[in-house]
Amino acid sequence: MTATTTTMPPTPRASAPLVARESLWSRIRRGSLWISITTVAIMILLWEVIPQIGIVNRILFPTFSDTILGFGQLVSGGYWWEDLGKTLYAVAIAWVIGVTFGFVMGVALGISPFIRTAITPYAIAVQALPKVVLAPLLIGWLGFGSESKIALAVIICFFPVWIDTMVGLALPNANEFKLMQSLKASRWQVFTKLQLPSAVPMIMVGVKHALLLAFTGVLVAEILSASDGGLGKLAKEFASQLNMSLTYAVVLVVVIIAVALVSLADVVERRVVFWSEESRARKR
Amino acid sequence: MTRTEVIAQIAIDQSEKKRKKFSPYIVTVGLLPLILLAWWLATTVTKSVSPILLPTPESVVAAFPRVLSAMGFGDQVIRTLLEIAGGFVLGATVGFFLGVLLSSSNRLRTAYLPFLSALEAIPTVILAPLIIAWIGFGVEGKILQAAIACFYAVFITTLSGLGLAEPSAINLMRSLKASRWQVMTKVRIPTALPVIFGGLQLGATTAIIGAIVSEFIGSTGGLGYLMIRYRGGYDTAAYWVIIFLFLVIGLVVYLGIWYAERKIVFWRRTEITRPDLEKQ
Amino acid sequence: MTTMTQTAPLVRAEGVTKRFGSGEKEMVALSGLNLEVQEGEFLSLLGPSGCGKSTALNIMGGLLSATEGTITFSGEPMIEPRREIGMMFQQAVMFPWRTTLDNVLLPVEIFGEKKKDYIAKADELLGMVGIKDFRDSYPWQLSGGMQQRAALCRVLLHDPKLLLLDEPFGALDEFTREAMNQELLRLQAYSGSTAVLVTHNITEAVFMSDRIAVMSARPGRLVGILEVPFDRPRTPDLQTTNDFVKLVAEARRMLELQ
Repeated sequence: MTATTTTMPPTPRASAPLVARESLWSRIRRGSLWISITTVAIMILLWEVIPQIGIVNRILFPTFSDTILGFGQLVSGGYWWEDLGKTLYAVAIAWVIGVTFGFVMGVALGISPFIRTAITPYAIAVQALPKVVLAPLLIGWLGFGSESKIALAVIICFFPVWIDTMVGLALPNANEFKLMQSLKASRWQVFTKLQLPSAVPMIMVGVKHALLLAFTGVLVAEILSASDGGLGKLAKEFASQLNMSLTYAVVLVVVIIAVALVSLADVVERRVVFWSEESRARKR
Repeated sequence: MTRTEVIAQIAIDQSEKKRKKFSPYIVTVGLLPLILLAWWLATTVTKSVSPILLPTPESVVAAFPRVLSAMGFGDQVIRTLLEIAGGFVLGATVGFFLGVLLSSSNRLRTAYLPFLSALEAIPTVILAPLIIAWIGFGVEGKILQAAIACFYAVFITTLSGLGLAEPSAINLMRSLKASRWQVMTKVRIPTALPVIFGGLQLGATTAIIGAIVSEFIGSTGGLGYLMIRYRGGYDTAAYWVIIFLFLVIGLVVYLGIWYAERKIVFWRRTEITRPDLEKQ
Repeated sequence: MTTMTQTAPLVRAEGVTKRFGSGEKEMVALSGLNLEVQEGEFLSLLGPSGCGKSTALNIMGGLLSATEGTITFSGEPMIEPRREIGMMFQQAVMFPWRTTLDNVLLPVEIFGEKKKDYIAKADELLGMVGIKDFRDSYPWQLSGGMQQRAALCRVLLHDPKLLLLDEPFGALDEFTREAMNQELLRLQAYSGSTAVLVTHNITEAVFMSDRIAVMSARPGRLVGILEVPFDRPRTPDLQTTNDFVKLVAEARRMLELQ
């Protein structure tokens, strides 16, 4: 059973930091920035030209300029602000609830190795179940309002926080526990001074992943139940009207928000776990 | 805080467990009837949960033969499995080769990584309406959606895994005048395999999600389509039967990849259980 | 065994300098190294950490290129690794997915030769270092010392003209290390290879070598060369003789002078 416990997959974020990110300056100096710029330019050119010369249907595949126009139309339209607000509101609420719930569960079930081992098969089952299957059910039960969105997003996003907290609390090694024992630390002191600080970098990974999953959950619910509004509803509506440039524009907005949220989370993470990057560098 | 250390720690925890008489797995097994009892109490006995959300256990059990023997049920199952498998194979293949490509050139990596990292943040479900508009309600669209969903996990784990080879191993290969291809196939890829399997595990899960969501939004068949139909008819018990089916599919995929990892990356487990030698 | 022949040296380094980084961060790892390695001899590079001895070895092996100066092997300039040169590192570098035998046969695969032709030789070498019973075991089933024995077999499989040894037994415990040194001397004599050993252990350097190149740190440079005249084969008893102790003291004095 050991191996089942151990194959709890890491989130892809967990391994991402191993790939060094280079500063803009070094990218300019090493010439790779030009490759990026050229690639983007060529992509945009193809995006613009291919539908125009009719290789693909321009209605289904709008050109770059169509998309920019659509973006302008969307942003100046005014009506979309409400949808944007609804989506962000639901993501924020769901994320806070999911993280809190996941953390509490992780602490409750992760503090003792005994309970952790006992609960692992259930954790794997919860992980293996694609939780979006509950989406239509939740919408049917809670109605088309923001409750069903939030409920789905919470169910999807609490999981990584739970698991990462549980695993994080198990991180300190035997010697570290022995040191605390030799100091006659209480159970509470072992938790607050050793286990929790050791778990923080891991928990932060889960918290960031949860943000992305909350966004996904909200979008799924919005796409499935059109009436409450939100970016997911907009994308689906525009797509079903074959108004593709506006659909592209909504997708673009979602991409921008997602990248912004994750970048923000990265900055916060680096502040909170300032020691982690350093210790990682030392281990390499 | 690497995965290896986590695993090693858990292994230590478990070996300590062996000394105790009371196995935690007794609790694991004991919890199952408790969960079923709670379900029964909440629905059949006290009726405190809406039957629209969670039907009684009896009705779900009764729904099993009805759902499984329904006309064309097998075709729907096969269709969904095909979508998942096709998407997974496509996404994982592209992710793996792109990871290999970017890992072999510093320039390409620094040029393209910023864009590809952005993919990590994007909720791929937003593409579902687009994909349906492009290629319609058929199987191909679901495969594409699943492939997009699982691509990133395999790509990033491949890329970072290929960078994990020890400098001394690379130096040994260089001292033998090994070609880049030899270094890749004989050192970098085997070293990366455990990490790549982590990506495959995650990618498979996301591929399943991608296929289901796409089926929910619009499909001419598949288990997701069936679920929407059952829900429309307020047949929640039948809906729950399919949820259990997805639990089984998820577990089979999860355990299947786990088993493949154990067989293929056979050296990894032993490495972990012998930490005394690993120090060398 | 001690080479006093007047033939051309196997390796010749002239004014070899290696700098890492540039500008403010520039670090001189090795400064103006002049050194000749004669065919058949056992030479040690002895010095504290940071004296550039590993850098010098990596340049000899073609893994690094010199910033200034030239280095030749058999009269030809070293610009890339050569297959007549075998290297051993502090880590055994045994791939966990290969059996011991397959690890030993790795060079055969890299060189694109037939594995079959070398199995007998690999078995013979494994037998000589006493781990033939473990030929089909995986590295994780071997102790650290056994792994280094296998690494030794791997490097000797192709009869390299030159062995470059970068503290190969540095990670082992003292007892295993001494046994491994014996093993190394025996196999080097058997194969007739030339050997260059990097070490920071004075006793080890004196015990193993025909000549010792003593180096100093920051910037790494050669302090002097110490001749070790003892006969071979050498036994551990040698270490208790007066002459041996005197040479060790001499090497220590050179290291402390700097």
